[in-house]
Amino acid sequence: MDLKRILLDRFGYENFRPGQEEVIRHVLDKRDTIAILPTGMGKSLCYQLPGSMMEGSVIIISPLVSLMEDQAMRMRQSGEKRVIALNSFLPYSERQRILGQLQNYKFIFISPEMLSQEAFGRQLNRMRISLVVIDEAHCISQWGFDFRPDYLRIGDFLKLKGRPPLLALTATADEKVLNDIQQYLQMEKPIVQRHSLDRPNISYSIVEVNSPLEKTAWIKNRIAQTVGPGIIYAASRKRADELAIELQLEGVAVQSYHAGKEQDDRSIIQEQFLNGDLEWICATNAFGMGVHKDDIRQVIHDHLPPAVAAYIQEVGRAGRDGHPAAASLLYMPTDEQTTSYIIQSDLPREEEIRYYHRMLTEGHSPGSASELASLTETGKRVLDYYMEHYPLEEILLRLHGLSNEKNEQLRQMVQLVIGGACIRQRALSYFGEAGRNKPVECCSICGLDHVNWLYDKSITKSAEEKVSWDERITNLLG
Amino acid sequence: MNLSSILLFVISKMNGQRTLNAGLHLLRGKKSGQTLTDVEYFNVKPFFAILPKLEETTYTKAIDKLLDSGLIIQNEKFIKLTVEGNKRVKDLPDFHFRGWDYRGREMIFFGRIALLVQTLSYVRKGEFSFNPIQKDRDIQIFVKMLLERQPITDPGFAKKIGEELKMALLKSGMSDIQKYIFACRLTGSTETAKTWDQLSSELEMGTDALRLQFIESLHRLLPIVEDSAEFPFLNKMAFGIKVHSYLTDSAMHTKRLFDQGHSMASIATIRKLKMSTIEDHIIEMAMNDKRFPVTHFVSEELIHAVVSKSQELGTKRLKLLKDEFDTLSYFELRLILTAYKEVD
Repeated sequence: MDLKRILLDRFGYENFRPGQEEVIRHVLDKRDTIAILPTGMGKSLCYQLPGSMMEGSVIIISPLVSLMEDQAMRMRQSGEKRVIALNSFLPYSERQRILGQLQNYKFIFISPEMLSQEAFGRQLNRMRISLVVIDEAHCISQWGFDFRPDYLRIGDFLKLKGRPPLLALTATADEKVLNDIQQYLQMEKPIVQRHSLDRPNISYSIVEVNSPLEKTAWIKNRIAQTVGPGIIYAASRKRADELAIELQLEGVAVQSYHAGKEQDDRSIIQEQFLNGDLEWICATNAFGMGVHKDDIRQVIHDHLPPAVAAYIQEVGRAGRDGHPAAASLLYMPTDEQTTSYIIQSDLPREEEIRYYHRMLTEGHSPGSASELASLTETGKRVLDYYMEHYPLEEILLRLHGLSNEKNEQLRQMVQLVIGGACIRQRALSYFGEAGRNKPVECCSICGLDHVNWLYDKSITKSAEEKVSWDERITNLLG
Repeated sequence: MNLSSILLFVISKMNGQRTLNAGLHLLRGKKSGQTLTDVEYFNVKPFFAILPKLEETTYTKAIDKLLDSGLIIQNEKFIKLTVEGNKRVKDLPDFHFRGWDYRGREMIFFGRIALLVQTLSYVRKGEFSFNPIQKDRDIQIFVKMLLERQPITDPGFAKKIGEELKMALLKSGMSDIQKYIFACRLTGSTETAKTWDQLSSELEMGTDALRLQFIESLHRLLPIVEDSAEFPFLNKMAFGIKVHSYLTDSAMHTKRLFDQGHSMASIATIRKLKMSTIEDHIIEMAMNDKRFPVTHFVSEELIHAVVSKSQELGTKRLKLLKDEFDTLSYFELRLILTAYKEVD
């Protein structure tokens, strides 16, 4: 089959990106497939192209409502109008209307909690489904850093259907996560299509310092001398704010971004970053998903991320346009403790779990019980799923296991930083990859000479003219 | 205008008769019997729920500022103005809040405007792809439905809405700075909105003060467009923003039973609620209905006696009135003061 022809005719691209064509062929052969592709490598084409050739609808399960609507919107923009995003946030009447005409849609994005809704299940049973896609499939693994208990329900759901082939998509998966994906989705001898997670255009540097003050000084100096746009990841909201203020005093166009800011301001900051009004963002890990900016040149970590997978994901936001980008991680020995503390305080402790359990059996609502037990958002989500499935003692055991696993992941991250081996190769080895060619600008261990492009800073300080209120409205609306 | 100046005003209204936290509950819009009664007694409806998310520490800081500058003093538990404070109140600008009517929902109104403006600013240039500034699904759906079957790609359509918006801002009586803040919170293909922090350093005003300016400006704009054919689009945007029932849901339930002829005791039994809760509901009802039959509860003579005593003593403190009218319960006294507020 001439897939290239179809690619050109229907999508207007001359060539596939690496890995895409293989995945599409497996799907067309009706094989269960796990595709590991780096972010920004055109995951959606892997189901859009075969979906448009197969009879019936494609179901795409996606973890975040915002992400899902974003994808649906992008598909519509590219000319595919038979797309719908269905989630429990839609008002009841709207949802009913969509359900009534579900068979008219070719691509149906859903959030996992829709799977447990009867009306939806009934409707699906009447339809022909050609393919089920599980996006961000690593969310199914409790070992992953963004475990979504709702994802575990996908397995239950698939059991009911005489089932179409499955396509699990993810940008990150080590062996453990891969096993979880296979097992929980009950995939039959899946083909694992792995494209290297290596991003040769990104160089990695580790900078050892002795104090937070030195970190701040390094960042100030770095940003004065090198190019943006860039993201600085900090461990806390407070630190993100603090860095942003320090840099603003130096005249840098920078804002902080974290979940403590009101939603409108967050949208505004994102917008300003996208259109270039802001050159830098100081953020917590709340920033990144759904941000489509291709020309990010630098990612700086002011803290130690909790796992290699999290680190690679954050760093991977740089250089999507294929041009060189630099990742720098500032490290001091007490960072390990700091991160460990954050990880552990995110996990519910034994006494909290027991207390939550008791409150629930005494008839408190889950909301008030979790508040009483002072559980975090994630903690509650994980516990709620477990409590449906296991007795209390089993849950305690599992969470103990989870805590050990997280420590292990942190240990790996520390090894990456202080182990003294090539950062790129070491990171890739965690994902089962080995022995690739090193780019010239590889990492600080392999040696980075003066990287010219980084210092090629053009001064474009335009004095902003003040626009009056009615001029602004005229500029916007004509 | 800042939090302290609003508090100074509110305290002047409640002069010496309320404790420190009454102001916090008022600004946050707490729906308890006491706060709802206070709102009515002291004529502070405009300030009800203007800052639903006000933090206690922020509040305390603003109060401390007033204490430190000698404008208010704390007398036992009560807060009152000093002579200096009394002078200062007279210099305060007029406030134009309408908290009682909007209760934080003005932000939904603005969210709709912001998304509409952003959408049109792109679409009029033929760009159909942008990141919606509003993540709230209800707002997105509202704007989407509003724009259905409208000539959105016609640049004249966007221009018409722009003209309408400018007219309404002019007519609203907003100050220049308020119009500027309003416009700076709008975003689109040619202009990107500014964050509160950015406005704060540009205008050299605290973010809290900016937000108050912004909220007040929306409270000025809304009444202009609500009942007016002059601003057809903004009128639609204001749909459902003004509180349509001033009663809490629970008080509404009580009202239905009361209207059916149930006694308070019987309502308490049916609803399995404490008598004091039902009393709060009755007060709420009296507050929102000028024709509420107070005489069902107290005789006309007693009502007059209490009202004139209250005026004579110059107080609304229940404790003092209770000393004068021992036969009346606190509930009956509250009811009288609520229903006959307009006497003063």
